[in-house]
Amino acid sequence: MMIRLILILLAVPAVVLPLLSLGYIFVQAAPWFSVTVLLGDAQQHSMISSGLVPQIMGSLLLMGLACALAFPAALSLALFDMIYANASQRRVLAAALQLLQGIPPIVYGLCALVVLVHLFHWGISLVSGALVLAVVILPLLTENIMHALQRIAPEQTEAAKNLGLSAWHIVVRVWLPVAWSDILTGVLLAMARALSETAPILFTATVFSGVSLPDSIWSPVSSLQTHIFYLAQEASNKQAMGVAWVSAALLLLLVLGLSVVAWWLRQRRLGA
Amino acid sequence: MFKRFIYMGLVASSVWVLTLLFFLLQSSWAFWHQIGVQVLWQDEWYPYEHLYGFLPAIVGTLWALCIAMLIAVPCALAAAIVNSELVPRQVQPWGRVLMEILAGVPSIVYGLLGLWVLLPFLQKHLNLLSGHSLLAAGMMLSLMVLPTMMLMAEDALRAVPLEQREAGMHLGLNWEQRLWRILLPQAYPGMRSGMILSLGRALGETMAVMLVVGSMDRMPEPLYNILQPAQTLTSRIGREIGEASFGSLHFSALMACGVVLAAMALLLGRLAQGRAR
Repeated sequence: MMIRLILILLAVPAVVLPLLSLGYIFVQAAPWFSVTVLLGDAQQHSMISSGLVPQIMGSLLLMGLACALAFPAALSLALFDMIYANASQRRVLAAALQLLQGIPPIVYGLCALVVLVHLFHWGISLVSGALVLAVVILPLLTENIMHALQRIAPEQTEAAKNLGLSAWHIVVRVWLPVAWSDILTGVLLAMARALSETAPILFTATVFSGVSLPDSIWSPVSSLQTHIFYLAQEASNKQAMGVAWVSAALLLLLVLGLSVVAWWLRQRRLGA
Repeated sequence: MFKRFIYMGLVASSVWVLTLLFFLLQSSWAFWHQIGVQVLWQDEWYPYEHLYGFLPAIVGTLWALCIAMLIAVPCALAAAIVNSELVPRQVQPWGRVLMEILAGVPSIVYGLLGLWVLLPFLQKHLNLLSGHSLLAAGMMLSLMVLPTMMLMAEDALRAVPLEQREAGMHLGLNWEQRLWRILLPQAYPGMRSGMILSLGRALGETMAVMLVVGSMDRMPEPLYNILQPAQTLTSRIGREIGEASFGSLHFSALMACGVVLAAMALLLGRLAQGRAR
């Protein structure tokens, strides 16, 4: 009995503390949610009061571009694993993915700073940030797609092979119709991850002030993640604090929204 | 055509990743060459006087990891046991969903909370100059790795075959005995890989740590003092990379910090893989 009590006492903070902190953010942000904070105040021209539209767009652009870059690569890695790889190649690929996943995102950020920003002279830009985010999410996305493909019943693949379908037709006609929702779940989770990574884009893609919407992929952007970081250091300014809470709440809503949709897709598959 | 697309993706992604890692090593090479590896155990970091000791940041990183694990491991394992063994069956999936969602919370959000809620709290109750400390960093990290660790531990517990539990019941073991003698020993390998994975994540976590750790480059005095501002490898990189000019020795030294960080992460990964076999 004693042990059960201790276990429950230890387990309660594990659930309650994170929930409390998320709730606290929404409570703090609630009074600040207003049209002027979101869309900007035309009378004032400070960076803090110019609205959060560029930040939201920047975050979404970085996420979208990173996924668009990582998805074909991840898909081809997963298909290679399923169709062409032999056992030893499969082992190498799995080990490599695991190692890449272990490397801290900030290290990828450093690499990109050297290669993209300085050597290629792309500067601090949307495309640099998206390319490094793509590398950060690549292992996760590849593993998600692999798992989705591995869940397909082998009988279906066998049947398709016996019908004499080519690899391309097996993928398009048999695998994708069965596995698309699992693949989509994996992509959504990778998108959530791309949205929540801050360190790699901090010095490769984003600037704090002077940015509206980016003109091209070569211009720097502003993002919710880094906006929170910069504002966090201005605790003396009441309005900055308010905008920071609102940004944090928006970022959380975006990430949680993606996770909830991913969860719902999975439930639907399990229910069907 | 199809096969060519697949091989193109394979080649492109490997070339790109290898390029990144090659330039990481290449740009830190100047530093290793000019200053040498003895920086790993020197304890003074003053880039403007060409003193590059990594030890304070390494010690800080290890301390933050220790504190995070001390808090997170008992809580996460207890939560996993409670959710897989004690809670009614209808509630279990909700506990999992909750944890899965919490695992995705961006670290910068926790950083904001740490800076504006945890630090004033620590300052007030522990009588510190500012709350910036390794303790705060460890606490933030524990909050961040808890969900992942709990989920993996729960998976491991669920994977224990039903026959084993039934055998335990037939032997007349009570719940506690079954927990200690059957469930935990069987689930231990899975739990351990969850812990190592979380350790790796905590090692590379930057934003939240950077905001609460205080970025002070000196050894904790005495060595077990976790209430002072300190520095970790990630927070040093994050704080100083903006002010170091490209090509300077300082820049190269920060790249070397990245190499040390990656080496530690790879070592952890090896550990996880090696033990799994």
